[in-house]
Amino acid sequence: MKNRIIITAIFALLTISFNSCKKGFLNSPPYGQSTSADFWRNADDAIAASNALYSFLGDEYLFAHTEQTWDICSDDQWRAGDHPEDQAIEEFTYEPSNVQLNDSWSRKYEVISRANAVLINVPGIDMDQTLKNRILGEAYFVRGLIYWQFYKIYGQVPVITEADVINNDFNKPKASLDSMHKRIEEDFLKAADLLQLQNDAANIGRATKGSAWGYLTKFYVYLENWPKAIEYGNNVITGPYALAPSFGDNFTPATKNNPEMLFSIQCTEGWTENVTSIYSAPRPWGGWGFNEPIKDLEDEFEENDPRLTYTMGKIGDVIDIGGSSGPTEVYPGLTNTGYFFRKYVSWRPDGGLDNNMNIPLLRAADVYLLVAEAKIRSSQNGDAEINAVRSRNGLADVENATMTELMHERRVELAGENERHQDLMRWDRAGIIDLPAHYAIDRGPWKPGRTFVVPKNYLFPLPQRQIDLSNGTLVQNPDFD
Amino acid sequence: MKQRLFPKLLFLLIACACFSAFTMAQAVVTGRVTDESSGEALPSVNITVKGTTKGSVSDASGNYSISLNTGESVLIFSFTGYTAKEVDVAGRTQVDVSLLSVAASLSEVVVIGYGTQQKKDVTGAVASVKGSEVQNLPVSGVTQALQGRTAGVNVVRSGGSPGNAGSIRIRGTGTINNADPLVIIDGVPAGGLNSVNPNDIASIEILKDASASAIYGTRAANGVVIVTTKRGNFEQPSAISLNAYTGFSNALKTLDMLDAATLVELKRERYTNDGLPVNEVWNNADNAVQRTNWQDELFGTGKVNNVDMAISGGGSKSSYMISGGYYDEKGLITNSFFRRLSVRVNSDHKIGKRLKIGESIQLTNSKDNSLNTLSAQDGIIWSAIRFMPFIPVKNADGTWGTSKASNEYGDINNPVFTAHNTDASNVNNRILGNLNAELEIAKGLKLKANFGLDANHYTGKNFSAVVTDQTRTTNNNSLSRNFSESYSLLGEYFLSYNKRFADLHRVDFVGGYTAQTFNGDWFSAAKRDFINEAFNQRFLDVGQTLSSIGGNRSYDALSSWFGRVNYDFDGKYLLTATFRADGSSKFAEGNKWGYFPAFSAGWRISEEKFFDNAGFINELKLTGGWGQLGNQNVGGLQYLALISGGGRYSFNDNTVVGSTQSRLPNYNISWETAEMTNIGLNIEVLKRTLQANLNYFIKTTRDMLLSPPTIGTVGTLGIPDQNVGILRNQGLEIDLTYRNSAGDFNYSFSGNASFIKNKVIKLYDGNYIGSVLYGRPLEEIARTYEGSPIAVFYGWKTDGLYQTQEDVDKDPNITNDPRRTAGLISPGDVRFLDLNNDGMIDENDRTILGSPHPKVVYGFNADFEYKGIDLSLFILGSGGLSIFNADRMQGLDPTYSFNMYAEVADRWTGPNTSNTVPRMTTRRDNRNYRTSDMFIEKGDFLRLKNIVLGYTLPAGLTERAGISKLRVYVTGQNVFTFTKYSGLDPELGYSDGNKQINVDIAQYPQSRSWTFGVNVTF
Repeated sequence: MKNRIIITAIFALLTISFNSCKKGFLNSPPYGQSTSADFWRNADDAIAASNALYSFLGDEYLFAHTEQTWDICSDDQWRAGDHPEDQAIEEFTYEPSNVQLNDSWSRKYEVISRANAVLINVPGIDMDQTLKNRILGEAYFVRGLIYWQFYKIYGQVPVITEADVINNDFNKPKASLDSMHKRIEEDFLKAADLLQLQNDAANIGRATKGSAWGYLTKFYVYLENWPKAIEYGNNVITGPYALAPSFGDNFTPATKNNPEMLFSIQCTEGWTENVTSIYSAPRPWGGWGFNEPIKDLEDEFEENDPRLTYTMGKIGDVIDIGGSSGPTEVYPGLTNTGYFFRKYVSWRPDGGLDNNMNIPLLRAADVYLLVAEAKIRSSQNGDAEINAVRSRNGLADVENATMTELMHERRVELAGENERHQDLMRWDRAGIIDLPAHYAIDRGPWKPGRTFVVPKNYLFPLPQRQIDLSNGTLVQNPDFD
Repeated sequence: MKQRLFPKLLFLLIACACFSAFTMAQAVVTGRVTDESSGEALPSVNITVKGTTKGSVSDASGNYSISLNTGESVLIFSFTGYTAKEVDVAGRTQVDVSLLSVAASLSEVVVIGYGTQQKKDVTGAVASVKGSEVQNLPVSGVTQALQGRTAGVNVVRSGGSPGNAGSIRIRGTGTINNADPLVIIDGVPAGGLNSVNPNDIASIEILKDASASAIYGTRAANGVVIVTTKRGNFEQPSAISLNAYTGFSNALKTLDMLDAATLVELKRERYTNDGLPVNEVWNNADNAVQRTNWQDELFGTGKVNNVDMAISGGGSKSSYMISGGYYDEKGLITNSFFRRLSVRVNSDHKIGKRLKIGESIQLTNSKDNSLNTLSAQDGIIWSAIRFMPFIPVKNADGTWGTSKASNEYGDINNPVFTAHNTDASNVNNRILGNLNAELEIAKGLKLKANFGLDANHYTGKNFSAVVTDQTRTTNNNSLSRNFSESYSLLGEYFLSYNKRFADLHRVDFVGGYTAQTFNGDWFSAAKRDFINEAFNQRFLDVGQTLSSIGGNRSYDALSSWFGRVNYDFDGKYLLTATFRADGSSKFAEGNKWGYFPAFSAGWRISEEKFFDNAGFINELKLTGGWGQLGNQNVGGLQYLALISGGGRYSFNDNTVVGSTQSRLPNYNISWETAEMTNIGLNIEVLKRTLQANLNYFIKTTRDMLLSPPTIGTVGTLGIPDQNVGILRNQGLEIDLTYRNSAGDFNYSFSGNASFIKNKVIKLYDGNYIGSVLYGRPLEEIARTYEGSPIAVFYGWKTDGLYQTQEDVDKDPNITNDPRRTAGLISPGDVRFLDLNNDGMIDENDRTILGSPHPKVVYGFNADFEYKGIDLSLFILGSGGLSIFNADRMQGLDPTYSFNMYAEVADRWTGPNTSNTVPRMTTRRDNRNYRTSDMFIEKGDFLRLKNIVLGYTLPAGLTERAGISKLRVYVTGQNVFTFTKYSGLDPELGYSDGNKQINVDIAQYPQSRSWTFGVNVTF
C-alpha cells in the first residue's frame, strides 16, 4: 500500500513537471536565424544585406557563364565546350525550351529580390546617412544592372519592384517597353546619385558613381539619346576612372582593381571561385574549353596591336601554366579553333587556375568608345575618345573616325566581353550594317553562314518553364509561340 | 503492455492442470509442439524436466521425445518469443503442447496503439507481419524486408546502395508531400526503422485505416507501423540463440553500350551527316580500340556478413532478452558500404502485486558511405554508362584514364577513379529506449506511464583530394566534418479500464496525455589546403586554411490528448470510437491545434444463431469505419520569413559574407488532413486453414502540404510548403492464407494483392505541380494535374521516324512548322504529333503520356517443410504501370559527347532502316530526345525476391554437442525477374519526392545475392 502511494505521487509529480516546464512548449524559436521582422536593426545588418547583392553575380548560371553564352551568336567566337544546347543559340534555331534560358531566369530575379529587400528595409534603419546612401545606391545599381541584362536578352520581362514584394505579387505580365526603359534609367540615375565616387580600399569592387554613369552611357547609346550618352560618358571620362597604363592590367590578378575597372565580379582564391576562368581555359590546361575565338577575330587586330596577345592564346604562343609544366606552347589540338580567350584566365605559379582573377563587366575603355560612337552618330568628332583607347597600345591615332573605325575599335578592345553581338544588333537596327547578310557569311569551319531573322532573333524567347508556371500570365515573345 | 496479462492467465491454467500430479517409474514421453494461434509446428522448443538439468528439443516438425525418471513429472516448454508452459505429464506417454507467442500471438492478439486487442475484436484495418518473416534476409533493414508482405503496404526505393532503406507507402501515396508512415518502436515514435536489427523483431503491425490509427492522430495520415521487439518470459530457463550468415552479391544487370569501334563510327557519322568536317580525334585509330566496359569495372562483387546472438530467460519476478548483432554490407561499388553494430536489452519486472516495470534499450552504431549515384550531371553510375570505352581504367604508367584530352570525350571524370578517390562516411550512434510502468489501481483500472528517448549522434566526414588529371578538377583539397546531435523525449500517461457487465457488455477504455520534443544541435567545420594527403593526415588540424565553420540548433514539439473506447456486445457487435487533439510547433499560433475523430463498427456474423448451420465457415466478420487523420510532416518555422547568412563575396580580396532572406513565409500553413473510410471482410473457412481478408477503402487527403515549383520571379529563395489541394486514393486489398499439413509435410501459401487508384481531385491554384527537370537536357518529365494521378508523365506523342524526304514534306503535323521550311527536319528524325492541329510542333502539343502508378501490387509466399528440410519462396511484383526511361532518353542522344546505348548501332541510316532510333547528327533542331512516349516502357515485373532452403539437423545428433537446434540454410535474393523493361531495374522509386515517380535516372541498381547461414540454439 505504501509503495502504491509513493509511486502514484512520483507519477503525479512527473506529469506536472513535464507539462509545466514551459508555457511555450509548442513554440519553436528560430535559433541562429533572424526573421525579416527582427533583422534590419542597424548598419551591420544593412551592410550584410548589401554584400548579398553581389554574392550571387558570379554564379555559374548567371554572369560567370550563362550570360556569356549569348555572345556565341557573334562573329568572334565558336561556342566550343560540350553543352549541346549552345548550338541552337549560336545558329539562331533556339526554342523556348532551351536550357540556357531557364537556367539564368530565376537567378536574375534572385538578385532583384535581394535589391528590393534592401530598398524596402534599409531606409528605416537608424544609421550613418552616407553609408545608408551608398547601400541604397548599390541596391538600385544592381537592380538596374539585372533589368538591363533582361532587356538586352528578352526585351520585356515582368518588373518586380518594392511594391510587388510587399503585396506578394510575383506572377506579373511582361512590363511595357516604356516601363522597362523607365525602370533601368531610374535605377541607374538613383544609383549614380547615391553612390560614392570611389570606395575606400576595403570596399573596392562595390558599385560607384562611375559604374552607374557607365551603364547609363550604354543605356542612352542603345536608346540613341546622344546628348545624355555624351553627358554621362563624360562624367566617367573626367572622373577618377583613368584607363590603366596597359590594356593587360585589366586581366591580371595583381592589377585587377585598377581605376578603369568600373564594375567587375570580384573573386578571391579559396573564398570564391572564378567559374568564367574554368569555362575559358583549354581542357588539357585545367578548364572546360568553352567560347573559343575564331580566326576572323584574330584577323581583325592590326599588326603589332598588343591587345591580341592579352585577348587570346593562339598556336605557337608560350604561356606559363605553372606547376611542373611551366611555360608551355599552345599546340594544335589544345583547342578546336586553335584559340582561347586568355583575357579571363591566369595560372597559379604552382599550377591550376588562378581564382584571384576578376570577371570584368564594364571598363572605362568601353565608355570612351560609347561616347565616341554617340559623337560620331550625332555628327560630332569622336577621335579623342577613340585615340585615348588606341594610344595606350602604341597604335597610330585615327582622324575623323567614322563608324567603320569605331566598330573596328570596339571589336578588338572588347573582344569576348559580351558586347559584340549586342553591338551588331544595335547597328543593324540603326541601318548601319546588314546583320542578316553579315551573319550569312561563311567564316570557316567554326562559323559557317547562319540565318539571322529580323526581328525574331533580336530577342530570345522567354523560358517555356516560366510560361507554363505562370498559368497564362506570361506571354511569349513574338515569333516564338 | 496488455499482452503481459496472458502469462498470468496461463500460469493459472497450468496451476490447475498441475493439481493431479503423481509419480511414476522411468518412461518415455513423446509429443508435438505447435504454435497455439497458427497450429504450425514449432521446432527448437526447449523441453526441460522441472527440477533437473535434463532436457530435449523439438525437431523441425515440432516432435520431441524425453525420458522421465521416477518422481519426474512436470515438463517446461520454452522458446524465444513464446510464453513458456509447464505441463504435468500425469502418466501420459503422448503429450501435445501448444505455445502462445508472447509479443503478439498473431492471429489472436494484435498490437494497436496504446494497447492490444483480440484479433476477433478488431474493427479497423490492421495487418501483422511476424518477425520470422523478415529475419535472416540479406538486407540492411526491415523496411526492405516488408515489401510485398501484406496488401496495401508497398516499399519504394530510390536506389540500391548499401543501407538505402527505401520508403514505406501504406495504401498508396497519400500525399504529394512526405508520405512516410509513423513508426513506433516499442512504444516510442521514432524514425530510423533500419537501426533495428531485424532479428530482434517479434512482430510488426501496420495500422492502415483511420479507425486503427486515429489514436496517433497527428502523424497517422500515412499509416502507422508498430514494431515490437522480442522479450524474455517469466519462468523461462536461459536460452541462447545464434544466427550467422555470409554472402556475396553481383549486379543484376548492366546496360549494353556501344563498343569503341562502333562508337567512333557513329561519332564520325554525326559529322558527315551534318556536312561538317569530322573532329580530328575521331580519325585517331587508337580511339577505336575497345579497352573498358565501365559498368563492369565499376560494379564489382558485393559482400554481406551478419552475426547476432540473443540470450533470453526469466525468473518469477524478472525476465530479460539481451541481444547483440553485427551487420556488414559492402556494395557493388568500391567505397559504398553499410555496417551496423547493435545491442538490445529488454526486461520486465514485477514489483509487488500491482506494479510492473519494463524497459527496452537499443544501442546502435552504424557507418555508411553512399556515393553520388543519383545525379544525372555527374553521378557515378550515370558516368560509368557514358564514359568513353577506349579510355583505359589506368594508363600504362599507372595513372588513371581520363577524358581530359578533348571536349569530344565528355566532361566526366573516370568513374572508377571517382569511387576509389572517395573518402567519406557517415557514422550514427543511436540510443533508442523506453521505460514503462503499469500500476493496477483497482480491478480493471490501470495507470500507465511511458517515457521514451531517441537520441542520435551523427558524425560525417568528407575529404576531397586534389584532382588535376581529370576533366572536373579540384584545385584545393579540403576536409569537412559535421557533427550533430538529435534527441527526442517522450512522456505519456494514460489510464486503461476494462469491465464486463452482465456477461453481455464489455467496455475497454484508454485515454491520456502524450508529449514529445525533438531537439537538434549541429556543428560543422571545413578546412582546405592539406599539404599531405596521406590517410593519416586527413584531420582538420592539418588543413592550412579555414573554409567554413557553422552550427545551429532546432526544436519542435507535439502535445496531445487522446482517448479510445471499445464496446463489445455479446462478442457479436463491436464499436470503437477514437479521438485525438494534437498541438504542433510546426504551425503558427492559431493554426497549431488539430482535432481528429474516428469511429468503426464490426459485426461477427459467424457468432449469430442463424449462422450455426454454415458449418464450413468458421469465422465471418464485417467491419466498417470512418475517421480523420493529420499530417504535419513538413519543416518547421515555415510561417516565418527567415534571414540567413552565408553568401560569400570579396571586395578587393577582403572577404565578406552576405545576409539574405532564405525562404518566403507562408503565414497560413496548417494541418494536412486525411479522411478515410474502410469496409472490411474477414472469412476463415475449412477449419481455419484458409483465411481471407478483404478491405476496400477511400482515403481523401485535404489541404495537402507541398512546396511547389514556383515562378522564377520570386528568385531562388526557398518556397514554403503550402496547403495545395485534395488527393484521393481508393482501393481494394486482398490477403489470402492457406495452411495445412499431410503427415510430416507442412505447407502454407499466402498471397496478397492491392489495387489502388490515385487521383488529384483539386489543386487550389488551378495550375499544375511541376517536378525537378531531368539531368543535362533539363527535360521536364512529370507533372501533377487536377483529375489525374499524381506525377503523370508529360510530353510529346510520337509516331516513329520520318523515312523519306517525302514523309517530311507531306507530314500534316509540320505543314506550318518553320523548322521544316528551313530544312531543319530530315528523314531519320522523330515524327512528333501535332495535337492542337496548328501544323507545327511546339510546347502546346504536350500532353499526359502515362501514369507511373501500378494497377496492382502483389506478393506471394510459399513455405514447405518436411522432416527438417524447409523451403520458402517469396515472389513480388506489380503490374499496369509505366516507367519513363530518362537514362535511355539521354543514352540514345548523339548530340552529347558521351557513349551511347548499344541499340544506337541499329540507328536510322536510310529508308526503313529503323523506326525507333533516330539518325546520327550533332544538331538538335528536331529535338528528337525531348520527353516523349518513345521513352515510356511497361514497368510490369514479377520477381523471385527470396528463396530460402534450410535443413535442421536431427535433434538427437546435435544434442550431444549441447545444441538444441542447428539449422543451416542458403538464401537467394533477387534471384530472377520477369520483365520486359529494358533498364537496369524495374523496381524504381522516387526521384523528386512524390512529384516524380518511376523515372529511371540510372539509380544504384539492386543486386542479386546469395547467402549461407546457420541458426544455432543452445
